[in-house]
Amino acid sequence: MLARVLLALSLVPALALALCQPDGQDAYKVRLSIKTALGANAYEWNESEQFLFRATLAFAMRKYTGQETFNVSSVIVCDETPRVSFWFVVTNPNDTATLIPKNAVEEAIRLSRNRINSAFLLSDKTLQFLGIPPTLAPPSQPSLPVWLIVFGVVMGIVTTGILALIISGFIQRKKKDIEDEDEEEKQEGIMENGISCETLEGKEGVNNGAYSHDEDRLTQL
Amino acid sequence: MVEDSRPSWENPMQFVLACVSYAVGLGNVWRFPYLCQMHGGGGFLIPYLIMLVVEGLPLFYLELAIGQHMRQGSIGAWSAINPYMGGVGIASVVVSIFLTIYYNVINAWAFWYLFHSFQGTLPWAECPLSSNLTTYVPECEKSSSTDYFWYRETLNISSSIEDHGGIQMGQALCLVLSWMVVYLCVLRGTEATGKVVYFTATFPYLVMIIYLIRGVTLHGALNGLKYMFTPKLSDLADPKAWIDAATQILFSLGLGCGSLIAFASYNHHNNNFEKQAIVVSLINSATSIFASLVTFSIYGFKATFNYESCLDRTQLLLINTFDLTEDSIKPDNLDDWISHLNASFPDKFATISSQIEGCDLESELDTAVEGTGLAFIVYSEAIKNMGLSQLWSVLYFSMLLMLGIGSMLGNVAAIITPLRDSAFLTRHFRKETLIGMMCLFCCLVGLSFTTRSGNYWFTIFNDYAATFSLLFIVLIEIITICYVYGLKKFEKDIELMIGHRPHWYWKITWSVVSPVLIIGLFIFYTADYIMGGTPTYQAWDSNLGKTVTKEYPPYAQAVIGLLLVTSMICVPLVALITFIKKKKEQAKESKIITTAT
Repeated sequence: MLARVLLALSLVPALALALCQPDGQDAYKVRLSIKTALGANAYEWNESEQFLFRATLAFAMRKYTGQETFNVSSVIVCDETPRVSFWFVVTNPNDTATLIPKNAVEEAIRLSRNRINSAFLLSDKTLQFLGIPPTLAPPSQPSLPVWLIVFGVVMGIVTTGILALIISGFIQRKKKDIEDEDEEEKQEGIMENGISCETLEGKEGVNNGAYSHDEDRLTQL
Repeated sequence: MVEDSRPSWENPMQFVLACVSYAVGLGNVWRFPYLCQMHGGGGFLIPYLIMLVVEGLPLFYLELAIGQHMRQGSIGAWSAINPYMGGVGIASVVVSIFLTIYYNVINAWAFWYLFHSFQGTLPWAECPLSSNLTTYVPECEKSSSTDYFWYRETLNISSSIEDHGGIQMGQALCLVLSWMVVYLCVLRGTEATGKVVYFTATFPYLVMIIYLIRGVTLHGALNGLKYMFTPKLSDLADPKAWIDAATQILFSLGLGCGSLIAFASYNHHNNNFEKQAIVVSLINSATSIFASLVTFSIYGFKATFNYESCLDRTQLLLINTFDLTEDSIKPDNLDDWISHLNASFPDKFATISSQIEGCDLESELDTAVEGTGLAFIVYSEAIKNMGLSQLWSVLYFSMLLMLGIGSMLGNVAAIITPLRDSAFLTRHFRKETLIGMMCLFCCLVGLSFTTRSGNYWFTIFNDYAATFSLLFIVLIEIITICYVYGLKKFEKDIELMIGHRPHWYWKITWSVVSPVLIIGLFIFYTADYIMGGTPTYQAWDSNLGKTVTKEYPPYAQAVIGLLLVTSMICVPLVALITFIKKKKEQAKESKIITTAT
């Protein structure tokens, strides 16, 4: 009797091991990069951490299926390496000999990915489920592209500058025209070739030196 | 007297800064460091400085002298020097028109990147997600986020030059803005840009100093600086190094476009341009060297970053495949581990051996990039990895803008000054209208560079519009002055202006050394072009995520030919027309004389 019980007991872990096979059809490989993520604050990976993992995964299965029958014992882990990587399978709580199919496990993990990551202080990149791509956070898209706003501001400044310069040039030219007109009007008396007639009246005339020595140069006929 | 009514610079400092702002441009930042890298690092300085003294300085001096003496833009100046040589001025203006049309597109890109720097994460720092939010866009994954932002989001480039695509609105808007900024600076006339150049000439230096301080403190910058300063003197035996040095000096100083003549024409007759010529040329070269210091520290940082990422990736690959503890593999024992794992688990290792990329710092540093690739891809990649990347990005692209706008002011001056010299045009149009029409015309034509294939056309203009033609123009200039106008007459003109004759050194370089050098360059480039076969270009393949070499289609080659011919043909054409006109006048005069007697 005892022997039979012992045999049965020893078969269970053997069975469990048989269910969890690396590269199994319904098995997933998990890889943790604790030192990369946490550096000096990295924790040691041991049995208790492993227990937490199995519990978190059971939680994910419960959440996804809505069945509260999943337990830590439903998650079986094998092939642990010092990398910290291992394979796991999830057994059906109603029938411990069958496994939950791969898609269901994937959906469950996807649903609670954030919670699983936070339990271990890791991220999608450092807690990898090989075969389940991480959902990348979409970059935030503001309603109006920022560059258009800056463009608008600069364009406004430049346009104002151009208009200001053109208008001020226009005004300066108008002012200059008016000033020139005023100057001409201000001259008193009648102008003849720029010389006021009054100065001419009082004198016998102006001696133009250009013609004074030319007499010698004229050829004698 | 014509002298008194011509506007002038408010003070000589404005003239010097205008020349500096024009000469110090994007080429100093993106062409010179590339040449340094290609031709043996620090050793390239030797041919560069020799060419500066022997070719650059004399030609710069020459152009300033012509402008200051003739007091007209390039067309008027050359017609006054010799009526047959008026074509040189027209050729300069044609080249300047091509230059202004395509150069402002670079400012448009700088504006685009500048405006996009005002975001939480720089848009070129991360790849965008594909529609199902699980992976990144494949084109981005295959290349890199900075490549993707440049080729796809900025240019939206098509796969070949034949595939035109539509005008990209973002680019077009930025181009219009760039032209409005240029118009704002020049609408009161070239001499009024004197106030603007205080800023455009000095701001880039401020940014470069800040970048230098930041750059040398970056992790890995020393690798880049060491790479630059270890001269590989064996590279100097390659004639290409000397040819590149001569070409770089010529184009970096902006000779032959007529801009220097235009600037100098607003000087007072007795301005001491000799000293100013030396100062500006030296500043230009010093800036090139300074810019390459900054660029090489950035290169070093980027190369080290990529190298260390490569090491990290390899380490992760090994750890994951062989399930080793996380910190067992370190960069220094990586090679040991690889050989150990290969020996112990050959089968398993064989499965991943294709993914193991050899990480090599030297090869990262060797990737030499120039032009828009350096400015917009390499630098933005380095910036995204620096802390406070938005600030550095804003600083950097503002600097690019200032450099670009400063050079644009010179290019625009080269066109506007001859236009305003023309009595006909000045009588009928106000200067604001004239300048506005010119800007509008160039802007509209420039919009063709904002189409999906625009960048390929830009490369055509960049490579052919102002290279060969400028060599030709500069050669004709120097031969005209020395042998047609007469060196003796030129010496007397200079003596009238600055009070002493030019030193025999200048005379030797003008009459012998520089012409010989330029003829040599000319022959080399002609031979290179003829023997090079069909010209090719780098087209972006969105499926592969990298550039592929393609040949130019016939109509693109026709455009290349047109670019070269339209400017160069002005010289013989005008000489011919003047000759015919003179013959007609002589015939008329002899007719009058015969009828009078």
